[in-house]
Amino acid sequence: MRVENNQRRQMAMMSLPALVFTVSMIAFPFIYTIWMSFQTYSSTGQITGWGGGNYRRMIDDAQFWNGIWITFYLYALSLVMQLVLGTGLALLLFRAKRLPGILRSLFISPFLMPPVVAGMMWLVILDPSLGAANWILTSLGLPPSDWLASPMMVVPTLAIIDTWQWTPYVALIVLGGLQSLPPSVYEAAEIDGASRRAVFFRITLPLLLPTLVTAMVLRSVDLLRFFDLIYITTQGGPSNHSMTLNIYGFRQGFEFFQLGYASALMVTLSVMVLGAVIALNRLRAGVEW
Amino acid sequence: MHITFRSAAYLSTALAVCWPAVSVAQEFDWRAHEGETITFLANSNPLGQLIVANADEFRELTGINLVVDSYQEQQMRQRLMTVMNARSNEVDIFMTLPSREGMQFASAGWYADISDFIENNVSPDYDAQGFGPALMEAATFDGALTGVPLNIEGPLLYYRTDVFEECGLEAPATLDALVDAAASLSDCTDLTPFASRGLAPAVPYTFAGFLRNMGGEYMHDGQSALCAPEAQQALTLYSDLLRDYGPPGVVNYSFQQLTALYRAGRSAMSFQSSNEFGPIMEGGVRLEDTAIIPLPEGPGGSHPTVIGWSLAISSHSSNPDAAWYFLQWATGPEMQARLALEGIAPPREAIAESEDYRAWLSESEVRQQWHDALTVLANTGSSEIGYPIVANPESREYIGQAVADLLLGNGTVEEACARADTALNALIARD
Repeated sequence: MRVENNQRRQMAMMSLPALVFTVSMIAFPFIYTIWMSFQTYSSTGQITGWGGGNYRRMIDDAQFWNGIWITFYLYALSLVMQLVLGTGLALLLFRAKRLPGILRSLFISPFLMPPVVAGMMWLVILDPSLGAANWILTSLGLPPSDWLASPMMVVPTLAIIDTWQWTPYVALIVLGGLQSLPPSVYEAAEIDGASRRAVFFRITLPLLLPTLVTAMVLRSVDLLRFFDLIYITTQGGPSNHSMTLNIYGFRQGFEFFQLGYASALMVTLSVMVLGAVIALNRLRAGVEW
Repeated sequence: MHITFRSAAYLSTALAVCWPAVSVAQEFDWRAHEGETITFLANSNPLGQLIVANADEFRELTGINLVVDSYQEQQMRQRLMTVMNARSNEVDIFMTLPSREGMQFASAGWYADISDFIENNVSPDYDAQGFGPALMEAATFDGALTGVPLNIEGPLLYYRTDVFEECGLEAPATLDALVDAAASLSDCTDLTPFASRGLAPAVPYTFAGFLRNMGGEYMHDGQSALCAPEAQQALTLYSDLLRDYGPPGVVNYSFQQLTALYRAGRSAMSFQSSNEFGPIMEGGVRLEDTAIIPLPEGPGGSHPTVIGWSLAISSHSSNPDAAWYFLQWATGPEMQARLALEGIAPPREAIAESEDYRAWLSESEVRQQWHDALTVLANTGSSEIGYPIVANPESREYIGQAVADLLLGNGTVEEACARADTALNALIARD
């Protein structure tokens, strides 16, 4: 009995640092943000009131709803492109087993680049007057684009940049999944004379689903909090057409001193991210094999 | 804080008598804080970069360990806000733009009062009265001196003399002539005829001069006045110029894009910060084919924009004495004379008259034009870029949004100004 108690005490002592770290670094900031979201601040950062005013303000704020729309539009567009292209790239790397190491490294290099550097690079490439993108288009006889300066093009352009950067990451996850698939299933399919198309859609894709959902969870958390690339390239413009909820909350807090309102926006965004992760985890449990 | 620089000149004379005489401490010792450490939060604009580039001299002079934390303008403010809200002593001294945030930061209590320092602890060669009392008064909030000017600056019209000559054009003397020149240039050359800021939060810096020259004002009787006829005309004029004659993607343009475009020889006219003179002239090509004038006058006269960066000490600094030494060094006559030779317009009149600066100006016609244009700004300009309220930074967002709406064709000018007025009146009420 005494030995058991001692063991429990030792286990408690050993897990205490992790518990302290979790409470101080994760729980405290989140609880503090929730507390701040119920405070109203003046333009000089002074607390002027308390209550649910920030949440009521959110409901009447057209920019909040625009932020939700932009957040999910960008999320859906980027996620679909990254999953499709990531799977394609993974299949390519899986089949080309003799691909030189340098080429493999080149394929995965974009996601090793800091987003700030990637943003600055694309900002220069996509500059409508001086950038290489329009030079290439016009050289091919195609009309130039305003890219990040066009209300219609800004979200697709951001999705393309993010896809360029993060497709290799998805590809690496999917490649891991491909390498773990049981060869016996493919041997049976070959004996049965299944076409390559049938093998892909009837065997590979269903077996890859758990891996794809894992990639979806990982990318969803990042995409719903999409910030750095937008901040570097458009800061939510032109005319709020790329103003995701994250960017909107950041600007309210750090540029306009509306810390309470910014906290309310961030709490709402956190709930959305949490909801998406829970939903995707349930989906993942349903496709396990 | 709103200060009209013409009235500032008059005020200078009046205040010269009232401003407390600066007593120079005979025993002033630059090594008094040797071994101490201070952190300078810098804006990485040309002015901040030049100060940082010379920082080793300060370290050698004082023995103070200067840590530089340098960011782009917006990121610098965000860093400052995080530090100040946490009441942290991580920043001792920082660059600030009183015309934008002076009222806000002073109300929040972020600036240390440096009146006592400037009265009792200055080096013999500092010449605190060299700024003129009006500039110092502009940095005074509720009797507390919050900063010392680093420069004066404002938007100026840079234009290509060779292209104007080819197209048979004269420098525009009025806003109407500016539109005519842009129209002629679009027929005569492949270059972008006219470029200016289009990025919403950055727009007011260049738009404010158009508004005043068209006879408009931001506020009238305590209410937003962007829908007044003169303001509507200014919104239309500015957005038409950029939409019809500006570069593609101008709605995302701030000073970096304007400088890159003009320096690359791709725009014929650029309404751009005087502070960008150095970067624009890098390489020397544009020195030969550029002329500079203030914004041409309009029906409301000529009221260009002029502002200045300052250095301020944090109210949470744990070492304000050493920070004051850095402030003195960076705003002293010797340093400001050096900055002037790099294209940073000096706030000290004596430097503008100095032999070295005169010689530097005389080396190139465009330098003299740049100086002359800045003199016009200093004598006739206004620092009112956003609304004269504590929430000045947020007001700029709505002004810029109205221009961006027009650039993107989001409704008529009546609709754009009405949206802006609604948001701005709510902001004024909240203020």
